[in-house]
Amino acid sequence: MAQKQFDFDITRIDHFLYDMRGCIKCKGCMWVDHIYMPGIRFSTRCPSATRYFFDSFGAYGKMRIGLAYIEKRLPPSDTLRHIFYVCTLCGACDVGCKRNLDLEIGLSLEALRVKLVRDGVGPMPAHQKKADEIFLCHNVFGYPHKKRGAWIPQKISPTKGAKTLYFAGCYGSYIHTEVSRATVKILEASGTPFQMMDDEWCCGNLLFSVGMIEEAKRQAERNLSIVRESGATTLLTSCAECYRMWKVDYPKILHLSTSELGFEVKHLTEFVHEAISEGRIKFSIPFEGKLAYHDSCSLSRLSEPWISWSGERQQWGILQPPLSRRRGTCGVYQSPREILNLIPGIHWAELHRKKENGFCCGAGRGTEDAFPDFAMWAAEQRLEEVVAIGAEGIISACPRCKSNFLRAVKKNQQELQVFDISEIILASIGGVKKERSGDRRH
Amino acid sequence: MRITEDILKLFGPEQLYYNPQTLDHYSKDYSLFPSKRPDCVVKARNAEEIQHVLKYAGSNGIPVVPSSSRVHFYGGTIPQKGGIVLDLTEMDRVLEIDELNRRVRIEVGLTWGKLSKRLEEKGLRVMMPLYPHPLRSVVTDLLEREVITNTVYEYGESLQGMEVVWPNGEVFRTGSASVEGYPESICKGVNPSGPGLDFYRLLQGAQGTMGVVTWANVKVEYLPKMDKIFFIPVSNISRGIEFLSQIMRLRVGQECFFLNRMNIALIFDVDFKKRGERVPPWTLLIVLSGFQRYPEEKIRYEEDLLRNLVKGEFQELLLLEELPNCPFSNLEIVRMLRRAWPDPLTYWKQRYKKGCQSLFFVTKPSYVEKFVGIVEALAIQSGYKKGDIGMYIQPIEQNRACHLEFNFYYDPENGPEKEGMAQLYQKAVLRCLNEGAHFTRPYGEASRVIYERAPEYVRTLKRVKAIFDPQNLMNPGRLCF
Amino acid sequence: MIPKEAIKEFESIVGNEYFTVDPVICEGYRGGPGGYECGLGYEKMMVRIPKGIILPRQTSEVRAIVSVCYQYDIPYVPYSTGFYGAKSHPHVENALLIDLKRMNGFEIDERHLLAVVEPGIIYSQLQEEALRRGMYVSVGGGGGQVSVIANMINDGTSPHSYRFGLAQRRILGTEMVLPDGDLLRLGSLAIQEDPFWGEGPGPDLRGLLRGGTGWRGSFGIVTKMAIKLMPFQPEALRPEGVSPQTSLRLPQNRVKWVNIRMPDHMSLKKAVYEIGKAEIGAAVMKVPLFWRAVARAKSKEEFWEIWSKESEERIQSFHLLRVLLIAYGSEDQMKYEERVLTDIVTELGGQAQRTKQTDESWFKNADSAGMWLMCGGYISVDYISETLDHAVSQGERMADLKRNFTPPLMPDYGERGWFQSLEMGHQGYSEYLIYWDPEENTERVDQFYLESAKENIRRRFYTALLGPNQPLYLTGPAYGRDYHQWLLAIKNEFDPKWLCHPPFPLAHDQFIDEAEWMKTLKDWKEPGLKERKVFPSVKSQTD
Repeated sequence: MAQKQFDFDITRIDHFLYDMRGCIKCKGCMWVDHIYMPGIRFSTRCPSATRYFFDSFGAYGKMRIGLAYIEKRLPPSDTLRHIFYVCTLCGACDVGCKRNLDLEIGLSLEALRVKLVRDGVGPMPAHQKKADEIFLCHNVFGYPHKKRGAWIPQKISPTKGAKTLYFAGCYGSYIHTEVSRATVKILEASGTPFQMMDDEWCCGNLLFSVGMIEEAKRQAERNLSIVRESGATTLLTSCAECYRMWKVDYPKILHLSTSELGFEVKHLTEFVHEAISEGRIKFSIPFEGKLAYHDSCSLSRLSEPWISWSGERQQWGILQPPLSRRRGTCGVYQSPREILNLIPGIHWAELHRKKENGFCCGAGRGTEDAFPDFAMWAAEQRLEEVVAIGAEGIISACPRCKSNFLRAVKKNQQELQVFDISEIILASIGGVKKERSGDRRH
Repeated sequence: MRITEDILKLFGPEQLYYNPQTLDHYSKDYSLFPSKRPDCVVKARNAEEIQHVLKYAGSNGIPVVPSSSRVHFYGGTIPQKGGIVLDLTEMDRVLEIDELNRRVRIEVGLTWGKLSKRLEEKGLRVMMPLYPHPLRSVVTDLLEREVITNTVYEYGESLQGMEVVWPNGEVFRTGSASVEGYPESICKGVNPSGPGLDFYRLLQGAQGTMGVVTWANVKVEYLPKMDKIFFIPVSNISRGIEFLSQIMRLRVGQECFFLNRMNIALIFDVDFKKRGERVPPWTLLIVLSGFQRYPEEKIRYEEDLLRNLVKGEFQELLLLEELPNCPFSNLEIVRMLRRAWPDPLTYWKQRYKKGCQSLFFVTKPSYVEKFVGIVEALAIQSGYKKGDIGMYIQPIEQNRACHLEFNFYYDPENGPEKEGMAQLYQKAVLRCLNEGAHFTRPYGEASRVIYERAPEYVRTLKRVKAIFDPQNLMNPGRLCF
Repeated sequence: MIPKEAIKEFESIVGNEYFTVDPVICEGYRGGPGGYECGLGYEKMMVRIPKGIILPRQTSEVRAIVSVCYQYDIPYVPYSTGFYGAKSHPHVENALLIDLKRMNGFEIDERHLLAVVEPGIIYSQLQEEALRRGMYVSVGGGGGQVSVIANMINDGTSPHSYRFGLAQRRILGTEMVLPDGDLLRLGSLAIQEDPFWGEGPGPDLRGLLRGGTGWRGSFGIVTKMAIKLMPFQPEALRPEGVSPQTSLRLPQNRVKWVNIRMPDHMSLKKAVYEIGKAEIGAAVMKVPLFWRAVARAKSKEEFWEIWSKESEERIQSFHLLRVLLIAYGSEDQMKYEERVLTDIVTELGGQAQRTKQTDESWFKNADSAGMWLMCGGYISVDYISETLDHAVSQGERMADLKRNFTPPLMPDYGERGWFQSLEMGHQGYSEYLIYWDPEENTERVDQFYLESAKENIRRRFYTALLGPNQPLYLTGPAYGRDYHQWLLAIKNEFDPKWLCHPPFPLAHDQFIDEAEWMKTLKDWKEPGLKERKVFPSVKSQTD
């Protein structure tokens, strides 16, 4: 039956029923792509299905439960809410499904959270608390807003009107300021003038991710208008989650395509990769270390540009006009790898689960905020993999990942180093004098 | 006698035997199993006649023992509880030779001798056990899991769809032979599996306890166009086995097995008296074959692989192209491998002392040396000459497992020797069982100790058996029934 | 509902964390709406949501669970990955679903070429472990994502069966909990702890595990199985690409696909026979044009653009033979086999075509789920192992039959299915795939399904899909004959209360009885419910 004019507006759960009905339980959303299947260990990429065992925690279960809820066959309950929120929305299921079936699983999950919020079922109480802090202090921690820019090194001054606008994000501004500091030093070293917002607020990742779509929309509109007015042509982030919000979810919320934002969104790794090829950055200082690279979900499989689409679904499910699917194929995988390949001295290795098959650190999209134990478990799983390949530490390209990995390292008193890639870049261009910054913090 | 009177009503006197000489003949075989006479012998010629016998027996609670071969080595057809021996040896037709689908459909009484000859005429062959007795039934030996010497085909098992008369007298066809009207159908019966369950598995290793198979489809292959045989003397069997594992993983060779000095001498008539000096402790025989197209090329690359291994990791091994002191040519040896033993009167297992008690089981090749040591030690303890033990190692499935066979030659006319043999055999079964030998074909007294180790299996076997044969009339006293 | 006393016992067996009766969790185990048979009447009518889910970790727990079920008359369904759509889900109310995914033990024995798996292990995991050690396994058509055990007892065919043989031949020592809770160890496990050998002493009770296909768990729960692996060639198959374009790069000196365009159907069949006779190759199959469209398209829309341009004439003149060559021994083997293959196909007028030297489908089988992409609904309506001749003839008949049901079936221009050679040409395997749009009315698809069984009976074709996928009282009298009598006797013996996945093996019979649109097609006789004397747990449902 043809579905007349529809789009992928996540506030319209009825637009996703086809995708939710189409799940065949192949569980491609949970397993690592079979071509890359590493064996008995490290064979899954969905943290919630792996942790909670019951099918109901995998996308296959969530689609069924979601349908039952939408069709009012299941009333709201704590379990139901728990199932939809104890999920990292890391996109593993979505790219897994699109390996073969092209169902919009990721969007369905987002739409279900929007529905839960609208029905007064979601989000989790912890999320609401965080949201209140965002409304009040404009950051996810409830820290004083006036201290947001305290991390900026004294010697570095943003340039008003510069073409590049650096958005530090909440983690970069308060928790992992070493990442933001490294970023601006790298910008400086590359001779790139940059500006920052006069009054930077949270990107709204948590609000959006937990389904508080109206609140997230307000955040998006506010932030977007500032950048548009700033004259910047590039919005730079060093946080993968901010990156995804700006590049993918703002357009999604606002019914735009990424190309219609009016500026380009870049992650630090993309910027550095370009700067290397243009000769603006050179790595000269060896960085000794045997490290594994972890693909942050929001930089990798979740980061493909959003393309606004509307049309109709015809017989056999054919979309008209044809839709170019976001399958995780063109995530930012190569830039960080090219960078690491050029860093002298480093011995970096791939984890078994890499690129679109990566296993989420467990922190993002509201997970750590409401389910710290689950987030910790996910990070521990990932670190097990680091140990299994014989690496001595892990590199990610997102301060949220770093934060969560550090928690796990500390809890388990592991001798593992945890780096953000910005720190390694900075060290190798000579921005760090003696000490190695690889955090252990225990 | 009531049975014979009743059966005479069903069959003519030419099919019913109950004279003492005949009953005596069916009461014993070449095994150590105690003799026991049947009440009568019925020679059935088709499924319908089998049905008559089974229905009659079922109605009257009379045991029935199916017998398809003309010679028996393990006591499997000695009627332990009397009753009727259902002789199927006259059901020995080749029903179809289907060259296109590389199969034959044969009756249960057809012997290796006859079948191999018929197939050779057509340029075909059936995969065979090691020099089977020419009077053994092909179908029975395959049902009884006689291991075949050619291990290059990963899919192994030769049996396909077959017909069975269940103990209640119903005729049933297994696998794809189960379609209505078979063989008048496009189905040729090449798939053994189904319908519904793998009934054919229940008939394997059953020694006639589950029903009476009347005919079966059996895979055949083309005879190679060209062969080359190598003899590899081996003094350290573990090294030989390691070598074999490597070549089998490369898919080299067709027929391939180890024989010890005694069995080489018996089979190939090798300078029998001097076997101690001239023949190495073990010999690995391996046949390389080329088929219809570019046979020499196939043999060449396989030979290169063999030679490279010998040049490399196995320098102590020699690839001999001839078996020393052997009266047969290489070509004859290869031909022999694809035929039944030529003369029933000089069967190799009976050549030395008339009697042969075989102890065999499936095991892992890495255990061979251990088992050889155990069995030799037991033999010595029992006063049996170590050098008189025949040994045969048949690799299975790329040598991931093997059939290990010890042949104890003895004089069945010599009472004490026979008694000693029975004791040695029983001891050896028990000892090997304790050391991890896997007996899939429990015969005679050994079956008791084997089944004692498998209580769950026995429990389920009995439940299944009771479904098909609730009165336990089919070859009762056999296996765990 | 599951009785309170039973709930307590289940919790004490596996712990609270691994047992639930929460309706939300149970809903996650719904069979439909997607999946194998998705949207079909069978799924809509027969599938129920379980009332409880339990996740055992070991065999002793499975036995204890089954015993509690028997004590309290709770129907139960064993479940490994749930991929096999409707038929791997409960069909009766108040059932307990025994999810076996926590049973994920694994051992591999390189020297003796075997792996021991529990039900939670899937094929791609096993394949990777095997490949890493110089061995390989035949990954069933179900795909890399299916439970190895579930596949081995239900189906298990793949193009590699050309060398590997029928799946049941690879089953070694196996541990199984019978429906009433009794434990059965098959093969060498019957006597010892080592599972290296498949045959037990005397009659081989592996016969109870399956026939052409299996019984969706209704004859017991296999908790552990050793399966045979095969030695592979020495070079690595390297994964490449980013999803969805991921594949294994083949080392062409050792592993190679060869595509050959044959002039007609007869020459293709002849070539397959000849290749088997020459004993070369590692997989040999005829590929439908349809698959080429699937392989070329990057999306559903692109597929339909390609496919809608096809025609009956094109299909009838497309005869693509695909042969996998593996040089196990040396590169010279590859040269030899290529030479023989070239000779055979040249004599028959075949021409080699270019083909990608990568694999997505048959080593780790990553793309089987893609069969749902084109229409949303897919099923293999029949698969059979008989002769190659049989494969071809049955394909022609099924193509004719399909015409009468198109639409709602996807237009396939008279495609005659695909076939492959098994056991080096001793057998031919054919499979008929049908596709439909589950958003449309699917009653005619259900009817086609049944008609295909009748066509098999009329034409005396064999089929693997007997009772588990068709009415037992329809197929039973036509095969064996009366195989159903024995089957039911065995079911009654081992599951006297019919608690293990009821109403199998009579599930399809019940569907026909209850689906209005199927009733007119019922032209066979069967005993009434009472005469069947078989399934108390089902009777309570249907009375």
